[in-house]
Amino acid sequence: MNILAIEDDLEMASFVQRILSDEGHSVETVHDGDSGLALARSKEFDLLIVDRMLPRKDGLELVREFRESGGNAPTLFLSALSDVDHRVEGLKAGGDDYLTKPFAPSELLARVDALGRRGGTEAPITILKVGDLEMNLLARTVKRGEESIDLQPREFRLLEFLMRNAGQVVTRTMLLEKVWDYHFDPQTNVIDVHISRLRGKIDKDFDRPLLHTVRGAGYRLQA
Amino acid sequence: MRLPLPSFVRTTTFRLAVVHAVTFLIFTFGLLIYLFYSTAGYMRSQSVKELDGEVQALAAAFNTGGMARLNQSVVERSSVPGPYFYVLQDADGQTISGDFPSIPDEVPNEESVETNFSYQTLNRNGEIEVRSANGIIIRLPNGAALMVAYDLGQRRQIVDRIIQTMWTALPIGLALSLIGGLIISRWAARRAEQLTRTTDGIISGDLSRRAPVIGSGDEFDRLSERLNAMLDKLEHLMMTTRHAGDAIAHDLRSPLTRLRNRLENDLRDGEKVDREESLERTIAEVDAVLATFNAILSLSRIQAGDAAKFKQVDISTLGEELAELYDPAAEDEGLSFDSEIEVGLTVDGDPSLLGQAMANLLDNAMKYTPKGGAMTLRVRTNSHAQAEISVTDTGPGIPEADRERAVKRFVRLEASRTQPGNGLGLAMVDAIARLHHGKFELCDGPGEPPATGLRAALLLPKAQE
Repeated sequence: MNILAIEDDLEMASFVQRILSDEGHSVETVHDGDSGLALARSKEFDLLIVDRMLPRKDGLELVREFRESGGNAPTLFLSALSDVDHRVEGLKAGGDDYLTKPFAPSELLARVDALGRRGGTEAPITILKVGDLEMNLLARTVKRGEESIDLQPREFRLLEFLMRNAGQVVTRTMLLEKVWDYHFDPQTNVIDVHISRLRGKIDKDFDRPLLHTVRGAGYRLQA
Repeated sequence: MRLPLPSFVRTTTFRLAVVHAVTFLIFTFGLLIYLFYSTAGYMRSQSVKELDGEVQALAAAFNTGGMARLNQSVVERSSVPGPYFYVLQDADGQTISGDFPSIPDEVPNEESVETNFSYQTLNRNGEIEVRSANGIIIRLPNGAALMVAYDLGQRRQIVDRIIQTMWTALPIGLALSLIGGLIISRWAARRAEQLTRTTDGIISGDLSRRAPVIGSGDEFDRLSERLNAMLDKLEHLMMTTRHAGDAIAHDLRSPLTRLRNRLENDLRDGEKVDREESLERTIAEVDAVLATFNAILSLSRIQAGDAAKFKQVDISTLGEELAELYDPAAEDEGLSFDSEIEVGLTVDGDPSLLGQAMANLLDNAMKYTPKGGAMTLRVRTNSHAQAEISVTDTGPGIPEADRERAVKRFVRLEASRTQPGNGLGLAMVDAIARLHHGKFELCDGPGEPPATGLRAALLLPKAQE
């Protein structure tokens, strides 16, 4: 992916660049809002990573102007401000996701992957498929092979999110935010238990597991 | 150039006293003037009426008995002491009878005329006194003249008495009103002085000082109560801050020291150390420190938070969702988990913070309840019509003596030292309760001693319909 990172903290900028380059992304970094906006407009990027507080042009303002001038590359905000209000502001300004510093490299990668995928076609999908696992979004049914699987509504949403991000790592925080819409952290890993329930339903009676745990990062659904 | 006023003039006491005195004086003065005019006027009209009556009576005597009868009447009346004077003259102007040797005014040719004159008399002290009188002179049909007059002296005396009373009453009134004003305003000043002393004490560092509330329910009491409530909050914040200082020192410094020592050791051990393992452990420890730090930050933000961004939160739905989120985890821990949730309960609040509070309570219950135990989440209206969110468990509970301490920042009771956590969970619930104008309570759970269990309840005011 072609990624533009706009971050004034040089240490943080090179940290982000390093993490993403290691995964094979090509990353350009700039350190202030004005040149960030100029570069974002002059070149096609697959993803923008924007710090909230930037010299010369605030991150919010930058994204707002970028969107107004027709820029549609997905945008991930980075910020030391973790309040829900700040998060909402960021999303209102045209951001697609919001990540609070400090973050684990795996968290950044997972979110970048999720956003990069969303940048593609937005045609309405009615059937999601991962290997022999198939989800019908209209009928709200799930089957693996020929066997139909009965899921609770929340399990259905959890699986849907995993299938939409198939092949990529999703973190516990992402699941909590996107599936449960919670912006706080339960301390014990309540999410893990839901995953293992889901795993029990979609993987237990089959030879090849689809739902994998990625140590220190999260989960990945992969055929 | 303006001369500076003496300082006492600027006090509310002085101003109140002056206002009080002036008001009182104006009232007194007005009352006396009214009294004077109404009395004098009444007396004047009364004497005119009486004068007329006398004249009528004497005229009647003349009509029935002629001069002889009139003369007799005049003689009789003159001999009676009183304010009336009579003089009867014949047609030649010779005085027949009466109080004066002659009519002291010119006798008119017409039927009757009013007259004002003065005369000299000896007063009680034997001094000559000039007094004035007012009367009527009539010409009788036979040419004789009759005067009936009224001594104005008596009326003047009464008027003089009133004026004298006024002059006596004024200074007394002035003095009384000043004293009254001073008493009232001194009382106010004393209350104000008490408040000043309280604040002075606080400024000099004694935060335990409180303004006296005497129970009269007046504005000073109300002010004192508000002031005291403010001071309670302030003291609480100060205590929290002070305590947090120590706690941060303990909870952040010790892991950092531990980390530093380990890194030092690893560095010294050189080649022998598994580099990857060392770094991974370092990152994990730094993450833990960062997590604690974030928790401190959000706790501070909640404690300093404002309720301005509150909206209606359906805590029943929130409860249902959290119950669903925790249900599998509780089952995995070998706990039976029930939820009893009243439908459609709303409060004014921040949904994320309320969710966080519930999650913290559920986390706690799960962490401390041994396998085979039970925990229950309840969302209901309690007997005081408050919204109540409670989590009960069958764990070891918290001894009553420790409960107040348990909700303080960083306090981790001895029994929980071995469990993971940063000691901020219950403090956060408490702060969230306060932010929502509610209360956080810990009490015995459903179990029998010694394992009484714990009931942690968040009591919030219900949303206004």
